[in-house]
Amino acid sequence: MTTTWEHTLLGPVTALGERVFAILPNVLAMMILLLVGLGAAWGMGHLMERLLRVIGLDRLCDRIGIAAALLRGGIKADPSYIIGRIAYWLIVIFSTTASLGALDVAPINEAAHSLLSYIPHLVTAAVIGIIGYLVSNFVSQAVLIAAVNAGLPPARWIAAGTRWGIQLLAVAMAFEQLGIAQHIVVVGFGITWGGLVLAAALALGLGGKDLAKDFLERRLAGHSRSQINEDLRHL
Amino acid sequence: MSNNLIPLTAETEDLLEAVRSADILVGIPSFNNAGTVGHVVRAVGAGLAKYFHGHRAVLVNADGGSTDDTPTIVAHTMVDLEPLFISDRQSTLHRIITPYHGIPGKGSAFRTIFEIARRLKVKACAVVDSDVRSITPEWMELLLHPILKEGYDYVAPYYRRHKYDGTITNSIAYPLTRALYGQEVRQPIGGDFGFTGELAQHYLEKHVWESDVARFGIDIWMTTEAIASGAKVCQSFLGAKIHDPKDPAADLSSMLRQVVGALFALMETHAPTWLPVTDSRKVPLFGFQYEVGVEPVNVNVERMVDLFQLGLTDLPDIWARMLSEDALDQLSSLRNVPLRDFRIPDSLWAQIIYDAALAHHRNVLPQEHLLKALTPLYLGKTASFVLDSQGLTSAEAEQLIETLCRTFEKQKEYLVARWPQSHDSREVIGAARAKSERSEP
Repeated sequence: MTTTWEHTLLGPVTALGERVFAILPNVLAMMILLLVGLGAAWGMGHLMERLLRVIGLDRLCDRIGIAAALLRGGIKADPSYIIGRIAYWLIVIFSTTASLGALDVAPINEAAHSLLSYIPHLVTAAVIGIIGYLVSNFVSQAVLIAAVNAGLPPARWIAAGTRWGIQLLAVAMAFEQLGIAQHIVVVGFGITWGGLVLAAALALGLGGKDLAKDFLERRLAGHSRSQINEDLRHL
Repeated sequence: MSNNLIPLTAETEDLLEAVRSADILVGIPSFNNAGTVGHVVRAVGAGLAKYFHGHRAVLVNADGGSTDDTPTIVAHTMVDLEPLFISDRQSTLHRIITPYHGIPGKGSAFRTIFEIARRLKVKACAVVDSDVRSITPEWMELLLHPILKEGYDYVAPYYRRHKYDGTITNSIAYPLTRALYGQEVRQPIGGDFGFTGELAQHYLEKHVWESDVARFGIDIWMTTEAIASGAKVCQSFLGAKIHDPKDPAADLSSMLRQVVGALFALMETHAPTWLPVTDSRKVPLFGFQYEVGVEPVNVNVERMVDLFQLGLTDLPDIWARMLSEDALDQLSSLRNVPLRDFRIPDSLWAQIIYDAALAHHRNVLPQEHLLKALTPLYLGKTASFVLDSQGLTSAEAEQLIETLCRTFEKQKEYLVARWPQSHDSREVIGAARAKSERSEP
């Protein structure tokens, strides 16, 4: 009776204990790797940032216009700080993946492997996102200035439309890289973009036909109705 | 010295081989100027025959691909010298009609003209616009005589113009050039110039032909380069300047960008030259001055102020990055001001231009955006000038421009104090300023 009781009740507990004891070194190894990785990431990130500051990367970027380009794109951080942060997050991702591998559990190993193979897509998507953000800021600013100089009162709306159009395109491309709902993204983007173009065409055709006429007159005849009575020579 | 040859067509090379050398070259850049270029060629031909007989002269037409027979007209236009009492009928005026390479624009055409001047080893050059209707044979004497006989290196034009004609010149190019380089060249972007063969070669050696200099920036670049290189500069009174009325107001933003972009780029190149300059001096003026009847200019002030107000509404974020807080506050106070009270004071305008030059130097915005964002401000200042000068004669309006120039000179200290300089250059500038103050009575 006792033997059966021990076998039925304590058997699974013993087996679980043995499994836990068997995996414990791996868990400890994972935690150590994770902590060391996080520490290394923090240390390397700061070290790299300091080192780049000492060797004058920010001054160099200032001189060759990279800092100004970042500022123009709305990024106010120094290039040294940005590279330091990138180094930090790269080490965090690698150490997390390595520490999960230390568990030596097949599904987790597979997940870690998948995560590693996913990193290039993640990086590509991030690059697309950043470039899209910078380009959208640059182009919308150019459109805003051009619209004001052309005397178009909804200049801000035109610029905002341009900015969101480019950012939408960049997000759609980034999602496609990440493999997230590829068809939905493409179809969604197509519908949204098509809708915007149709709305703009209708708005210009119905609500702004005078504006369109004025624009065409200026383009084709070299002047607008508002300029007919002006022959100011600037040079 | 640069030995790089600017590519010329085989036909042009053959003509150069035949002509070999010349004393005088007159360049005419053109693009679809069939309506006016014939008159320009006749005036040039008559002027050279009348005032420079005995000199070997070449007329060069650098054309940008006209589709209206401009080159044919240049090639076949003849001038009858008899009714002009010109006895010299023997001297041959060689004509070279050539396309130019590079960015389409007046500057690229000039580059080809300079190259031909260099190959022909000319002593004196003149360039005249192909759309100018008021050119007379006397322009040749006025542009070339100071070079050949008086020892000058560069002749800038001096015109009588309507008070609202040449507003970029009056509100930016003249005041800024005068304040920076200390020489009172009234029409630094006039378009009709005389210069030595050596100066043409100096221009060729500069690597600027892919920039705004290749377009409308060429005129201010030539004048500034001449001043900064230490050339002996004078002016010649040419009378009225009347152009073919096809100057497109629609291209204002591009014109402003090219002229102001060239001015700001030259400030970078010639900082050691202009930083120590503290005052300005008159530049000799040749020619018999007389009053001329100028064509009336219609101006739509309301539209200009509307564009300024639109800029004030939509561009404050961009202006905040290129202008000082003080300038921005003053501009904000003009929001919705009634038209009759609308004014941009000279001091504010000088500060805006100096702030923009500093922002260009610090690269705080893409250069194209910075320069184009100046358009509503420029229109505001132009409207302000028109409102100020309503009912004034041209001479009285000229006094307003003189006052603006003095304001630019007075406020130059603001620019110099903020322009980043090395310790050594600060000492040089300090010494120059101290010397200038000591020499003042």
